[in-house]
Amino acid sequence: MRFHQFILKNVFQRKARSALTMLGVGIAVMAVVALVGIADGFERSFRELYERRGVDLLVVRAGSSEHLSSSVPQQVGKQIGKLPGVRAVSPGLMDVVSFEQANLTSVLLQGWTADSFLFDNLTILDGRRLRADDDAGVMLGTILARNLGKHAGEKLEIANGSFEIVGIYESFNPLENGSAVMLISSLQILMDRPNQVTGFQVVLDDAPDKRASIERVRHDINALRSPQGRPWGIAATPTRDYVRGTSQIRMAEAMAWMTSIIALIIGIVGVLNTMIMSVFERTREIGILRAIGWRKSRVVRLILYESLLLSVVGAVAGIGSAVLLTYALTWWPMVNGLIRGDVAPAVMIQGFFIALAVGLLGGAYPAYRGAHLLPTEALRHE
Amino acid sequence: MNETPLLRAERLGKVYPDGQVNALVEVTLSIRCGEYVALMGASGSGKSTLLNLLGALDRPTSGEVYFDNRPLSQIDDPDGFRSKKIGFVFQSFFLLPTLTALENVQIPMFEGSLGARQRAAKAADLLDLVGMKDRAGHRPGHLSVGQRQRVAVARALANDPVLLLADEPTGNLDSHSAAAVLDLFDHLHRDKGMTIVLVTHGQEVAERAERIVRLRDGRICADERRLAQAARQAAATS
Ligand SMILES: Nc1ncnc2c1ncn2[C@@H]1O[C@H](COP(=O)(O)OP(=O)(O)OP(=O)(O)O)[C@@H](O)[C@H]1O
Ligand SMILES: [Mg+2]
Repeated sequence: MRFHQFILKNVFQRKARSALTMLGVGIAVMAVVALVGIADGFERSFRELYERRGVDLLVVRAGSSEHLSSSVPQQVGKQIGKLPGVRAVSPGLMDVVSFEQANLTSVLLQGWTADSFLFDNLTILDGRRLRADDDAGVMLGTILARNLGKHAGEKLEIANGSFEIVGIYESFNPLENGSAVMLISSLQILMDRPNQVTGFQVVLDDAPDKRASIERVRHDINALRSPQGRPWGIAATPTRDYVRGTSQIRMAEAMAWMTSIIALIIGIVGVLNTMIMSVFERTREIGILRAIGWRKSRVVRLILYESLLLSVVGAVAGIGSAVLLTYALTWWPMVNGLIRGDVAPAVMIQGFFIALAVGLLGGAYPAYRGAHLLPTEALRHE
Repeated sequence: MNETPLLRAERLGKVYPDGQVNALVEVTLSIRCGEYVALMGASGSGKSTLLNLLGALDRPTSGEVYFDNRPLSQIDDPDGFRSKKIGFVFQSFFLLPTLTALENVQIPMFEGSLGARQRAAKAADLLDLVGMKDRAGHRPGHLSVGQRQRVAVARALANDPVLLLADEPTGNLDSHSAAAVLDLFDHLHRDKGMTIVLVTHGQEVAERAERIVRLRDGRICADERRLAQAARQAAATS
């Protein structure tokens, strides 16, 4: 017989309790992996939206952490386009609308110029691309079209405006597939924000030292002034930092971590409880093991390995469930592209290490207790 | 017979923290290598306490136990020492109920250097020695009490100890099973030169040993060598 077989026997001996402990750890790990995974996926989606298009800088109103509410005069774009090192600039206006009848509460609506490079990454599945004269036209992402049950050529009411769906597109990005695109001029009228945009996406020329050129252009943009000589009060931010700083992402991450910490504490308490019970029940057995020659260190290992085993099996099940759950969630209409189906491997590994910590922390005190039982006392234990 | 003392207890005292019982008072005792000693005395006289101190399972309040002239209190790794040198047998066997006889015998070997296969082979040999080879795959619940105690003896021998300490090993056995276990002890003593200290309430059991030490209220009140008788009995049984 091997040591690990002895440990396995102990775990299998108490099937119900072992299973419940694993379930507890599993649920905790599932909560962590699913929540952190969703928050992380949201950030990745958001970043991908810019990075895949080679966007180097995002320009919004300085100091606006809630990026959706940023407002910048559209004419700034022309000035940015003339700066050295800038290859392309696209203004964007974003807003959030709801489609009550389809139970969709926050659908992203984007306004682009007809000639924007942003269209280049959209594949038209049905209908056609927006043209400069499509004042009452809108394009829907595949996920949104599916959730609304709409096709190209049909009419769609958006925030008191009546629009014709000119095309259905597919983007590389689930967030974009869950949103709608119209001309920026139409959106400005619809939202009553004349000549205002949320911000600009800026692509720079290729340069040997990209970082330095990003820094330089960023500095130039921040120094731009209105024709009256006043500063615009805008801030250019490198894509990655911009995404990091977005308040929704920060919130989602904070919430995910808060919930995770609670889940973890519950997991640790569960393992602790199981292992304390186990040590208490096996007081006599531990006394026997000590009396027939086991060292304290082996008793410690016996208990720690057992709690680790419970945690690790629970973790594997929890991670698997989290991956399935996350994937399943993407099919829920309410989600509408906000959740990615692929959980990042790093998040899964994180979940695994958290389970190891749960096993170690939950097993440490019981192991200490078990090892420090006096053999003679333990043998007298009934 | 080897005359060097294997075990020497010097002025051993044991006070249990709760109740302030003087379980042992100034016990001095010397046991030679290869000796077979029976410890007798009324219930509560301190027999188990003394046995546990001799086997480094507990520490004395005062005094010292010397094993091969080394004070036990100076040993860095008392668990390892116990594991290598001492085998314990208890009145209620203390086998692990979920393990087979063969597995139970292997438990102490985890602290040794044998590989899994060697452990199993050695355990099988030991079960053969105690006459339990054909029951190797049985769990304790499926064995008679006498058989259980023989498995427990095999387990006590797992790491080739030099000292076997048995606390009322026949206390829960019928006379027939008891005889089998005692025969086993005789064999270990006579043929393997094992040093044995056995606690018992039974005079007949004690008479199997070469020496009977009696305790009363935590003190040694008699120490009688029965070399001639033991030899006679050994001759009669063989
Ligand atoms: N762990 C303990 N805590 C407190 N008192 C103890 C403890 N162990 C033994 N005693 C007391 O010490 C004294 C000696 O006990 P011990 O168990 O050594 O006696 P014994 O001779 O083995 O008795 P028995 O024949 O009943 O087994 C008794 O008075 C007992 O109550
Ligand atoms: Mg006793």
